[in-house]
Amino acid sequence: MTTLLTVQDLSRDFGGVRAVNHVDFEVKQGEILALIGPNGAGKSTVLNMVSGVIPPSEGEIRFANQLMTRVPGYEYAKLGITRTFQNLQTFDDMTVLENVMVGMHTKTHSSLFSCGMSLTTARREERTMQERAHTWLEKVGLSSLASSHAGSLPYGKLRLMEIARAMVAEPKLLLLDEPAAGLNHTETAEMSRMFQEIRENGTAILLVEHDMDMIMTIADRIVVLDQGSKIAEGTPREIQENPCVIAAYLGTEEQVESRG
Amino acid sequence: MKQLTKKWGKSLGIYLALMIIFPFVMPDEYYRSVGIIIGLQAIVAIGLCLVMGLAGQISLGQASFWGIGAYTSAVLTTKFGLTPLVGLVASAIVPAVFAFILGRAIAGLQGYYLAMATLAFGYIVQIGIQEWEPVTGGASGMISIPQVPFFGGSELSMYYLIWGIVTCVLLFSLNLMHSRIGRAFRAIHKSEVAATSMGIDVRKFKLNAFVVSGMFAGISGGLYAHYMGILDPQPFGMHESIKFLTMVVIGGMTSIWGALIGTLVIGFISEGLVMLSEVVPGLQGDVDTIVFGGILVLIVMFMPEGLVPRIRSLYEKAQAKKAAANAEQRVERKAAI
Ligand SMILES: Nc1ncnc2c1ncn2[C@@H]1O[C@H](COP(=O)(O)OP(=O)(O)O)[C@@H](O)[C@H]1O
Ligand SMILES: [Mg+2]
Repeated sequence: MTTLLTVQDLSRDFGGVRAVNHVDFEVKQGEILALIGPNGAGKSTVLNMVSGVIPPSEGEIRFANQLMTRVPGYEYAKLGITRTFQNLQTFDDMTVLENVMVGMHTKTHSSLFSCGMSLTTARREERTMQERAHTWLEKVGLSSLASSHAGSLPYGKLRLMEIARAMVAEPKLLLLDEPAAGLNHTETAEMSRMFQEIRENGTAILLVEHDMDMIMTIADRIVVLDQGSKIAEGTPREIQENPCVIAAYLGTEEQVESRG
Repeated sequence: MKQLTKKWGKSLGIYLALMIIFPFVMPDEYYRSVGIIIGLQAIVAIGLCLVMGLAGQISLGQASFWGIGAYTSAVLTTKFGLTPLVGLVASAIVPAVFAFILGRAIAGLQGYYLAMATLAFGYIVQIGIQEWEPVTGGASGMISIPQVPFFGGSELSMYYLIWGIVTCVLLFSLNLMHSRIGRAFRAIHKSEVAATSMGIDVRKFKLNAFVVSGMFAGISGGLYAHYMGILDPQPFGMHESIKFLTMVVIGGMTSIWGALIGTLVIGFISEGLVMLSEVVPGLQGDVDTIVFGGILVLIVMFMPEGLVPRIRSLYEKAQAKKAAANAEQRVERKAAI
């Protein structure tokens, strides 16, 4: 399998506080890599750097053999990296369908003029966007809510909407920041199945998640962060048996012992 | 067009009907001229709505683009003898260029800083017009600006010309709002981080909104110059900028229709004040500024979303209630059977 994303010696400081400290890892084409660790370990900060939201203080990020450090944030989607957010970033005054259609921005090209004049090309593109957005709303199970305002939806549904919004861009790498937070058992299991399907269709996933059931069932490999540093990397089985990890992280979470 | 009438059928129908019959309901020349001025202001307000409501930036200098448009066409036609049509094209382009340069200069500014920068720009433009006497006529202004040759240039034909253009601007903006570009604007307004991660170049889009709004204001300014026939710098200052801002905020920043309604509301209030000042001698001068300032404060305090979104949500609630009541009735009827 070829390497899609290479993170090398990645660090990030916030005013003297080191949130991420010399972290290395790779995401290979078509795999699910889970990034786990206690709260404040630096997982979201890593995702923010990999998605171009904030620049690294040190280190390199390479995606499909391209150095991403100098690439402006709005180019990431076109290059094939899209994401969801831990603190939801939804467009509340738009409908669910419109939210997902924004995700297709890089896939569409109508100019301001042709949109304002509602030229045939713009209208055709609009229809294509609607169809594709509907397809993804169906996949995440939100078709019946397509014309509701996003602001009126509960938390869990908005997480699904964010996934659809990220997936309509047909990314090579999908970044997910705690997608199962606030979901119940059945919903989490359904989501796990969906992620596996996404992987089957060729999109790699970098998954930050606390739900160990989900991690252990779907992750191909796991990277463990603690206080900004990588303390372990391996298959789910290796991680479960790693004494370092158990001491630093898993040992403090009794749910893992009971479920894992 | 078919799609248009489907999407905004009702509102558009009501708007067109009212707009067309107005000059006959109020056959007075004076009210026609009031209608023309309101139409010109509506074009500016709709452009400002794109910047404020959609792309989420504030502009306290919109009257300066209006002024640049007015003077561009006035100077080109009176000093250089070009036809008003060429002048009007230039009055769309020149303010757009100014908006582009200003937009580039203030890219990245937000909130108060953006407000201050646009305010300063407004002052500079007004002072510039006043001081550039050989071209603009300075404080005493310009006279004998030619009319737009449109069906003889009567009040009535001008009314239909202006409102025809208002309708074009309105449709363009409504189309835009429901397209990938408008959604990108609205996305930026809600979350710049999310918009960026979806591939939207935030700076470029903010600049685009700014340029379009400058262009709309410029077109309106050019038409204003040719309609009035005379120009002086007075109407292109902060007073007018605040008025445009109030129109957009009253109607509801996030709604294109809101900008139009806001313009009408401000127009009615202005006319009311004019009438009142004839009866009450103390009400002369800049009383309208105080009134508009007061309205702005009240709106921000009690109805920050503005008129149109408020009415829309009330209507939706009423519909939902009706639907619920209907459903209940049906259940009861079933039970009775
Ligand atoms: N924008 C920021 N400014 C200052 N400190 C931050 C910022 N973002 C994150 N941090 C700090 O960096 C550390 C890692 O945070 P984060 O990446 O959110 O952790 P995780 O997602 O693993 O819970 C925390 O100590 C947090 O307080
Ligand atoms: Mg986090």
